[in-house]
Amino acid sequence: MFDMLSYEFMQRALIASVIIGLVCSIIGVFVILKNLTFIGAGTSHAAFAGVTLGYLIKFSPLSIAVLFSLITVWIVGYLSKKGYLKLDASVGIFYSLTMALAVLFIGLMKVYNAEVYGYLFGSILSVTKLDLAIIVLLGVVVLFLVYLFFKEFHFITFDEEMARAGGIPTGWLSFLLLTMIALTIVISLKSVGAILVFAMIVTPAAAAYQLTYSMIRMFIYSALIGTGSSVSGVFLSYWLDLPSGATTVLFVSFVFFLSVLLSPKHRTILTAIN
Amino acid sequence: MKNNVIITFSQATINYQQRAALEDISLDVYQGEFIGIIGPNGSGKTTLLKSILGLVRPSKGSVQIFDCACHKLRCHHKAKIGYIPQKGQIDPNFPVTVTETVMMGRYSSLGLFNRPSKRDKGLVETALREVGMNEYEDAPLGHLSGGQQQRVLIARALVQQPEVLLMDEPTTGIDPPTQHSIIRLISNLHKNLNLTILLVTHDINMISPFVDRIALLKVRLFAIGTPSEVLNEKILSEIYGKQVVVTTKENGLYVIVGDYHYV
Repeated sequence: MFDMLSYEFMQRALIASVIIGLVCSIIGVFVILKNLTFIGAGTSHAAFAGVTLGYLIKFSPLSIAVLFSLITVWIVGYLSKKGYLKLDASVGIFYSLTMALAVLFIGLMKVYNAEVYGYLFGSILSVTKLDLAIIVLLGVVVLFLVYLFFKEFHFITFDEEMARAGGIPTGWLSFLLLTMIALTIVISLKSVGAILVFAMIVTPAAAAYQLTYSMIRMFIYSALIGTGSSVSGVFLSYWLDLPSGATTVLFVSFVFFLSVLLSPKHRTILTAIN
Repeated sequence: MKNNVIITFSQATINYQQRAALEDISLDVYQGEFIGIIGPNGSGKTTLLKSILGLVRPSKGSVQIFDCACHKLRCHHKAKIGYIPQKGQIDPNFPVTVTETVMMGRYSSLGLFNRPSKRDKGLVETALREVGMNEYEDAPLGHLSGGQQQRVLIARALVQQPEVLLMDEPTTGIDPPTQHSIIRLISNLHKNLNLTILLVTHDINMISPFVDRIALLKVRLFAIGTPSEVLNEKILSEIYGKQVVVTTKENGLYVIVGDYHYV
């Protein structure tokens, strides 16, 4: 049953799924609690536009995806910080702007490129050695930054103004958090895809949110659900011969609905069922 | 007590959205003083507190605390100022426990990269005992009553081991008996810990028995002095523009404005 682990591409897929599951679900807690959900969607489209440009000009698609998504989160963050525009409105602009760019770049390619569409829906089994190296490197960087500034992010997530009043440097830490969200999306792009990556960030944290009243425990539950679902998705997709990204997202969504049913926050639902 | 000036406003003008929120404020706050700040809505009460925290800076004049310009305060200075902002509605499902909330008060003292130690946990327990909330350590913050949440937020300020406490309407949205117990708690903390307290409120009658001085704001500092100096009909009706009656009750003055039993 586990003989597939002898294949090198499966080993790579598993390592990638553990790291992506972990990073997405940890970052997801900040995204859910800080109401940054839409920024995840906007950034993943920007990253996809970067990938298409990379294929068009034949230059490392992932590097350009990093550039596109960072520029997007920084501009969106700046506009909202300066009070020019609410965050969701500016994300909305970039969401369609970058998608328009992606369509334009695909149009300019003239020939059909299946690999580009791979980035839209993701395929963890096609993760190369180089992809894995990038996933591990950026994943470790993001996790290390979370570890380093955990208490500051914790405070900012609860009450940004109080944190600022208490001397926490909220200005650059908010931009660092946006940067980490962008990097998380980029590393998940190849394996989960620009459309589905969003679920890997939001759903495990949303499921964990149902299960606890402690922020620390929410991080732990989210990490367990995210990593567990990501790995389960790889196994299930292999055994059942299904697309990996979709299988993972369906699995994690199932866990989410289960956690809503079991949530101590919605005991009434359970009572009603009983 | 009145020797050490801890906060100084010198002819400070602070703008908010291109208009003066505070104009030409000059005020010395002495160490260990309890000052009540009153005034109608939009009179700059919250801005006054925010200027001490360095969240807004004066366009003219200066605001200083601990001999340091407020907008240049370093973390270790900020840690000595406990701030209790006007309490918004806390989402009952937001995942944060009482202990986690209070521990955040330690974060500014710890500085970057340092993690809470056993000593910090001890300080959190002590602060929760001081506000009478030690039995609720693991309770979700959103599940507590308004008064209990306010006690937790006071504990979060206390755990900073502050010298100064800034409170913005700490009794708003809380039932009257609880309001009194919160004010009594604040008054006891003021005495026992020798804190300097600036408390913004609309409820003159509740705080006047406890405060050393009252500052009456309406963009400018209209009056500053003991409750008996400030709470007179002439001064108050000038600010509130309504018929104001000041009578005496067993524990001091009682202010009635217009048809309302509070200001």
